[in-house]
Amino acid sequence: MLRTSDDNHPLLSRPFSICKSYSTLHPRKGKRGHLLILYKKVGKGTQKMSTFKEGQEVNLIGPLGNGFILPPLPSSTPTILIGGGMGMASLSALGETLGSGKLYVFIGGKTKDDILCEDDQKGKVFITTEDGSRGKKGTVVDLFLSENERFDRGRPHHVYICGPEGMVKSLSKVLKSKKWVVQVSLEARMGCGFGACWGCVVKTRDTEMVYRRVCKDGPVFHLSEIVWE
Amino acid sequence: MMMEIAPPLDLSVCIGKLELKNPVIAASGTFGYGQEFENFIDLSQLGAIIPKGISLSPMQGNPPPRIFETNGGILNSIGLQNPGFERFVKDKLPYLRKIKTHILINIFGNTTQEYIELAKRFDDVSGISGLELNISCPNVKCGGAIFGSDLRVTYRLTKGIRKATVLPLIVKLSPNVGDIVAIARSAEEGGADAVSLINTFKAMAINIHTRRPELGNIIGGLSGPAIKPIALRMVWGVSQAVKIPVIGIGGIMKAEDAIEFILAGASAIQIGTANLINPKTGIEVISGIRQYLLQNRVNRVRELIGLFKV
Repeated sequence: MLRTSDDNHPLLSRPFSICKSYSTLHPRKGKRGHLLILYKKVGKGTQKMSTFKEGQEVNLIGPLGNGFILPPLPSSTPTILIGGGMGMASLSALGETLGSGKLYVFIGGKTKDDILCEDDQKGKVFITTEDGSRGKKGTVVDLFLSENERFDRGRPHHVYICGPEGMVKSLSKVLKSKKWVVQVSLEARMGCGFGACWGCVVKTRDTEMVYRRVCKDGPVFHLSEIVWE
Repeated sequence: MMMEIAPPLDLSVCIGKLELKNPVIAASGTFGYGQEFENFIDLSQLGAIIPKGISLSPMQGNPPPRIFETNGGILNSIGLQNPGFERFVKDKLPYLRKIKTHILINIFGNTTQEYIELAKRFDDVSGISGLELNISCPNVKCGGAIFGSDLRVTYRLTKGIRKATVLPLIVKLSPNVGDIVAIARSAEEGGADAVSLINTFKAMAINIHTRRPELGNIIGGLSGPAIKPIALRMVWGVSQAVKIPVIGIGGIMKAEDAIEFILAGASAIQIGTANLINPKTGIEVISGIRQYLLQNRVNRVRELIGLFKV
């Protein structure tokens, strides 16, 4: 959760995924940690962030919530990443971590400018844009379906998804019949980010607690747990 | 050489029989069940903690989206999602009990009977310092604010609960009423030990692109710095009209805001929305009040209550 201003405009912190974390050695200051946050200027908060200067102090709380469960290694199980637009910010590090063995990365966006993190991926990369300015024209879901024959029907696959709600919903239908392990990192408007306000919930199949918090119980859920309205 | 020794600062305040070590309370619904804040602050430093509101049976809450930011404020329609009395006592209370401060329980029901039953049950539970009666939540259909918008209902409900428990009883008031002062008086007549105000304002927002409401519940409650001046006016009005202590709530972001409420007549204050933005707000407000006392050569925070000069 990152505060984008010191006054109360905007009031709430904004949730971001950590795209990358790494450390470098500074000649004078020693070891320095870095967090890479990938964001798109869409509202008041990200607008303010775009005015941040180098060296400026920012107020952030993190890391928060859970993360993806990695497939057991070494693995011969095919792994598929499907990222739409800014969703790649959550998946990119995963694509770097996983071996290049049987990794398929589907990256989609509205235009070529929305194709992110493709160079960091170790596996086979498929690109699609809705306007056809990069890769195949269409949605990332269309492309995934057209490449479907690559994946053996009966075998278990590990799938990791992050992207706009429409994309995740469509994938939820497409993948329903397959007995694959599908994890999705969800996005939600958040109040606190650390589980106190219950503002960012998602509807789940859990009968005891129907609405679960994206910030604390997630953001990663098994796709089959989520109930789409 | 003579050394001038300043007497120690006294931040303690009284809410009826209850003595708080300082006037800063974490408001219900913005503080989870306390544990969510353990990595940020020493919880025992707060004057009191009010966990998220509890009903007799579990409640699922409202469909998302449940939160939307407006200018200087937040709309929420959480809908009092909670695990219900039994699970709360089993799963949440053991942690809260260990914190060395007062735990006040915010309770609500769908009927008068439910309120009374819940109060009775908490009366038998150890580790609780008092009850805060929620008759003011704008986000649930029955219960909540329905009880807090009628003088007679407020009186009868308070009186009924008063009989059901020996615990100190605070009645939390809604600003969505014609005359909050009259409602406060009804709570006082019904036997409340204190009133806390205000809960959120009923409010809404529309997305002009989708032409749909920004909240799943359409209507939610507005909180945050945007409502502070109205809350202050109401706290001032109520504190002049009742003899019982008043707890001020509404958009308190920093010590200066808290001091304003105390000067207006609040014996204690609650931090709500600010907890979400900066989980250390409560602790910072306490140290800011201490600074103010030092700078103004006031030894006891109690001396500030209602000191507002017109």
